[in-house]
Amino acid sequence: MTIAPRSGHGALLRAAAIAVGVAFAAAPLAAQAQTMGGDFVLAQSANPPSLDAMTSSSESARNINMNIYESLVTIDENVTPIPMLAERIETSEDGLSYVFPLRQGVKFHNGDEMMASDVKASLERYREVGATRGMLDKVKEIEITGDYEVTFHMSEPTPTFIEGFASPRAPAVIIPEEEAAKPANEIEFIGTGPYKFVEFVPDSHVTLARFDEYSARQDHDGPTGFGGKKTPYVDTATYRIIPEAGARIAALEAGEVQWADQIPVPAAKRMMDDPELTVFEARQWAFLTLIMNWQLPPTDNVDFRRAVLHAIDREEVMAIATEGFYDLNHGWQYPGRTYFAGDIGADIYEAPDLEKAREYLDRSGYDGQEFLILTDPNYGEHSRAAVVIADQVSDIGINAVVKQLDWATVLKIRLTDEGWNGWTLMQGLEPFLGPYGIAAKMTGDQPHQRATHPEIDQAYDDLITGATVEERQAAFAELQSLIYDLVPQIKIGDVGRMQAGSASLKGFKPFRAPRVHDIWFE
Amino acid sequence: MASNDVDSVPGTFAPALRELGMQLRKLGAHRSIQIGGILFGAIVLVAIFADLIAPFDPNENNYRAMLAAPGDAHLLGTDAFGRDILSRVIHGTRLSLVVGIIVVIATGVLGTIIGVLTGYVRWLDSPLMRVMDGLMAFPGVLLAIALAAALGPSVVNAAIALTITFMPRTARIVRGSVLVVREMPYVEAARACGAHDRRIVLRHILPNAMPPLIVQLTFVFSVAILAEAVLSFMGVGPPPPTPSLGNIIAEGRSYIREAPWIALAPGVAIAISVLGLNIIGDGLRDSLDPRLRNL
Repeated sequence: MTIAPRSGHGALLRAAAIAVGVAFAAAPLAAQAQTMGGDFVLAQSANPPSLDAMTSSSESARNINMNIYESLVTIDENVTPIPMLAERIETSEDGLSYVFPLRQGVKFHNGDEMMASDVKASLERYREVGATRGMLDKVKEIEITGDYEVTFHMSEPTPTFIEGFASPRAPAVIIPEEEAAKPANEIEFIGTGPYKFVEFVPDSHVTLARFDEYSARQDHDGPTGFGGKKTPYVDTATYRIIPEAGARIAALEAGEVQWADQIPVPAAKRMMDDPELTVFEARQWAFLTLIMNWQLPPTDNVDFRRAVLHAIDREEVMAIATEGFYDLNHGWQYPGRTYFAGDIGADIYEAPDLEKAREYLDRSGYDGQEFLILTDPNYGEHSRAAVVIADQVSDIGINAVVKQLDWATVLKIRLTDEGWNGWTLMQGLEPFLGPYGIAAKMTGDQPHQRATHPEIDQAYDDLITGATVEERQAAFAELQSLIYDLVPQIKIGDVGRMQAGSASLKGFKPFRAPRVHDIWFE
Repeated sequence: MASNDVDSVPGTFAPALRELGMQLRKLGAHRSIQIGGILFGAIVLVAIFADLIAPFDPNENNYRAMLAAPGDAHLLGTDAFGRDILSRVIHGTRLSLVVGIIVVIATGVLGTIIGVLTGYVRWLDSPLMRVMDGLMAFPGVLLAIALAAALGPSVVNAAIALTITFMPRTARIVRGSVLVVREMPYVEAARACGAHDRRIVLRHILPNAMPPLIVQLTFVFSVAILAEAVLSFMGVGPPPPTPSLGNIIAEGRSYIREAPWIALAPGVAIAISVLGLNIIGDGLRDSLDPRLRNL
């Protein structure tokens, strides 16, 4: 089987279902005259924890890294895997090997050409330091089968392998072989993307510059998702770190930045009337969740977790956390998607049951320990949800304490077993990409809940190895049932996202990370 | 105010009380102290009776009334959680005053002890004051933010951070007064009469070093309220959902165009508190510092 590159036109049109650029939709891309040059300044809320793309799955890093680095396979606008640095993907009939012929003439930002040895070294490094290295668990060996070809030998057929491998969550990017020999976060930030790294001043900005030797794919008409034919027009892209939403809005309205992320809903409504601005509205942007730490009391007790599960009034949390831009959805997939698992958990989700919550709390032997809810102020949805959840669970006698720290610190703490019991988190890419990302974060070496469970592990294994869609749907339904029973995470609801840009910014189309190529100024 | 009664028996307070009464009457007649007292007194009353006068639980969420404009139901409107701003400002004022009082007491006690030790015990002067100089080398609010961030967000830690920040200045002022007073003839006389150091410090030096300390503490109080708001604004004050004037303003930043009442109300409360205390401080300085009395 060969996955051939897809036409960009169809993908671009399909993308309208994913995110709607309010003004952009008015004019077809091809009809607009692109102009070279200019400095594109973007405002985002948080520092990237790392620009070593393999090691970080955070959105603030991905926003930048997806413009610096590229991977063998990526996703198009409709979340379908497409080749990027690979010329194509050839799968053996028995599903035990994947051959990736590489595109020739692709240059790294240091001027060297990408070769198969760079690919092998990068992916071997990903096995060691990749934030989602579990995606390569089924890869027994990566063999160099030519100067411009690598072959993956699988330990067992894995029908969902390419979907996982294409994930941009912590992308398996290709970097020069000599950089791949370095430990995590000690590399020079050299990729093959349309923009190259210039500087990172923490708490201030990250600057990228156009890579004039960028080698674009020629088999697409334009960009699609994180792939396709990318054309860098603007000279530089500067990501300014502006944690406070009001300051981001002020910077946008003052013309200091040309694009701003995470616009509060009340402000977005006001900005829709401003002809100088364009508001981009994206529904189904993320799941708002409460992650549980299974290692630290009291959340090490399943009955305590069930008490919390039954005590939460999702509608109140979502209304406040999202400023009214939300959908209530008990599912761990979006409705209408292939793996949406029906009504499993809907009865628990629909309304809080304080009586049942108190029963579980009594059964857990809870003795008033602190229930530490870890959160951050960088993402308002996180902190507002934490405050409301703390208030709600206190109604059944839980001593909830909101522990609010900056985002980077939160990301470090949540990787430890101490210092937190619950963690409010919007999961954007995972549900966007399908069931695998969501499931993967509940199993493997670094599960969100800090411990594994054999039944969850089994459900995940069935999900990724299921030969047919029906088998995989059944596995995901089982997983959703286990999530509502064992409570590794609690689903709160579906969150929308507001972004805004200058009206002079053309070609911008919201996706999972802002793409600074194929945009220009009028 | 200097006492020459070196042989008076401890416990005979009548003359001292009479003196204190006279001083208080004199202070009460000062126009600045009256105006500042009214402003700050109103804030103190609000803080004391917060539970009685706040119309709502300050932490009660109401998603059906998010960002409601000021009106009959909510006099000062609501925030993004639907919480009543008036109630949060009232309780936030209480917290600010509590932090201010803790800081004033702790700063006063520690600053006085260190100031007296450095001013009276010569060999302690240099090492202790170099430590104080070291602390004073950092900008006050920055030091407080760094300390509060290191200690973790809580009311107690904010108070500790502010105490450490303001204490060196207080110690320096007390030390300066002690250095002047210890050379006064009545102190020499007390020493010649065989009075012990403790008696000299407690009965003759400290009472005469008090006026500048009292003036300084009123400014510490106002700056502590302001600094606590800064710490809360920066996210290193009391954790949410505890209302403090600073974190209410911080929460209102995102909605400054759509819901300006969120940030406005606590801003006014801070302004009244600080203004009242500063006016009182000015009045005290005018009354207690003889050099400024006739200016």
